Amino acid sequence: MMTHIERVLASLGDKPVDRITAYPIATGVQRRLLSTPTTYAEWCSDPRKYAEAFVAGQRAMDYDFAIGLMDLSVCAGDFGAGVRFDEQNTPFVVDPVVKTPQDYETKFSNMPDPKKGRSGVITEGTKIFVDKIGKEVITAGFLEGPLLILTQSAGAEKVFMDMYNHRSAVHKALKDITDFDHAMIKEFANAKPAGLVWDYLWGSYSCLGDQEYEEFESQYARSLNKATGDNGMAFCIHNCADLPHLDTQIKAFKPAIYSMAWYPLIPGSPSAKETIMKGYADNCLVAGNIDPQAFIRFSTEKIEKTTMNLIQEVKTALCARGLHSRYCIASGCEVPPSLTTKMENIKAVVDTTKRYGQIECG
Amino acid sequence: MTREQILAGLEKAVVVGNKAEAIREAGAALGSGVKALDAIDLGLIKGMTIVGDKYAARELYLPQVLLAADAMYGALDVLLPHIPKEDAKKRVNVVIGVVEGDVHDIGKNLVKTMMTAGGMSCTDLGRDVPIENFVINVKEKDAHIIAMSTLMTPTMDGMKRCVDGLIESGMRMKVKVIIGGAPTSQEFADDIGADLHGINAQDAVSKLKKVL
Repeated sequence: MMTHIERVLASLGDKPVDRITAYPIATGVQRRLLSTPTTYAEWCSDPRKYAEAFVAGQRAMDYDFAIGLMDLSVCAGDFGAGVRFDEQNTPFVVDPVVKTPQDYETKFSNMPDPKKGRSGVITEGTKIFVDKIGKEVITAGFLEGPLLILTQSAGAEKVFMDMYNHRSAVHKALKDITDFDHAMIKEFANAKPAGLVWDYLWGSYSCLGDQEYEEFESQYARSLNKATGDNGMAFCIHNCADLPHLDTQIKAFKPAIYSMAWYPLIPGSPSAKETIMKGYADNCLVAGNIDPQAFIRFSTEKIEKTTMNLIQEVKTALCARGLHSRYCIASGCEVPPSLTTKMENIKAVVDTTKRYGQIECG
Repeated sequence: MTREQILAGLEKAVVVGNKAEAIREAGAALGSGVKALDAIDLGLIKGMTIVGDKYAARELYLPQVLLAADAMYGALDVLLPHIPKEDAKKRVNVVIGVVEGDVHDIGKNLVKTMMTAGGMSCTDLGRDVPIENFVINVKEKDAHIIAMSTLMTPTMDGMKRCVDGLIESGMRMKVKVIIGGAPTSQEFADDIGADLHGINAQDAVSKLKKVL
């Protein structure tokens, strides 16, 4: 049997594996595995608790990866946005930092210290869990892209309208935030994870066309993508949008790993089979796409069946495409950090992949 | 300007997302004796329908849709006070909002825009809306539809509590309940006793028109 790290490295190179990889993106929910009761608010504000939850999750679930996703208000809060912390809910911005067009030009020019605030929690916490389990599994930090930080800080609707109403001001903010992300790359590099996962959420055709995406994200993302590799971390992307810009984000950006969701009700949302058959897994380890709701609403038997179906779909598509292992059985988005999430369902996805994830093309 | 030119001007202002022009054309409509309701239905809504169709066909994207909606609302502010009360009463009333604990409202705003473009009168409760506010407003606004959205899993239960609140207050049978947002589904709508699930803004309006 391969070790987790052997299996992931083989999958990245599309070599034969004992089974395909598995990683339900269970992060905040793992606070429930800690020995002392821990609220979400406590987990996301304390680097030790944040890290200990990843270690506890690894011991309980035996994943192939550990990826330090927190929530999407981390950087916005450090730029001065008001963030509401409910005890058991994901924190969110309630008081945006941008009130006037001039704020785009001034509010982001004073870069937060990556060692402080929740940016400090996530980078310090990543270092702790990398030190503890980095020799067992492939670890990765998690960081929001510039456009995501800006929309979280200013309000997405406002930013989208100001792309046209106050174009140069929006670009000034994006340039400043890109500088901050570069500083965060260096901070994550000190933690020495194997990779860094970028959340480039707005690369979705339900939000932006190719032209807007190039202007407002890609031109900034390219330097960050390169810097990620230059700082010794594998460049990875998470995008749980419904209609992701796969040509840009996979074929042009060339990430090592691409984590994505699938929305069967949305016409054009790419399934695992379609993603593989269209060549997006030819040079990239694609991860997806179990509905995060399944971890709350499904019985264990039903999520096992769902996982088996996904594995079969993936096996068939990989073999048809002449591939061996470039797919990871994962949740399309974060496993809900709710108290009602069934922890046994997370384990069921991993165990089902262990049992049925062998690839033997005829 | 002729009536046709004014209506075409309103339509164009919405299509290109020019709020100032939409407001100016709305004023011109009233000044030229064009009925406010005609200016809305044959100008603004026609323009917003074009934008909605182009968005569905991926010829336009979210920024352009939001700008168009902003232009439409700017002109509506001018025109709505001039709709005769008897005409206003004929419109379908909607109470719409994002449930408590969630502040993601772009989807809700898109649905509200397309409902408005579909001739519905929307009372927008905003985001992070306490459940009791939905119930109170259904009664106060004489609503025919209650529309709730959430993008987050932990707040989905608020939708059920709202439906339960409608039952307890005796108003459930008076309104159609539609829900939406990434984690929701028709199956979830059925589970909590809602009537409909909208996949997106166009789908929501289309389904509502079929049941009203």
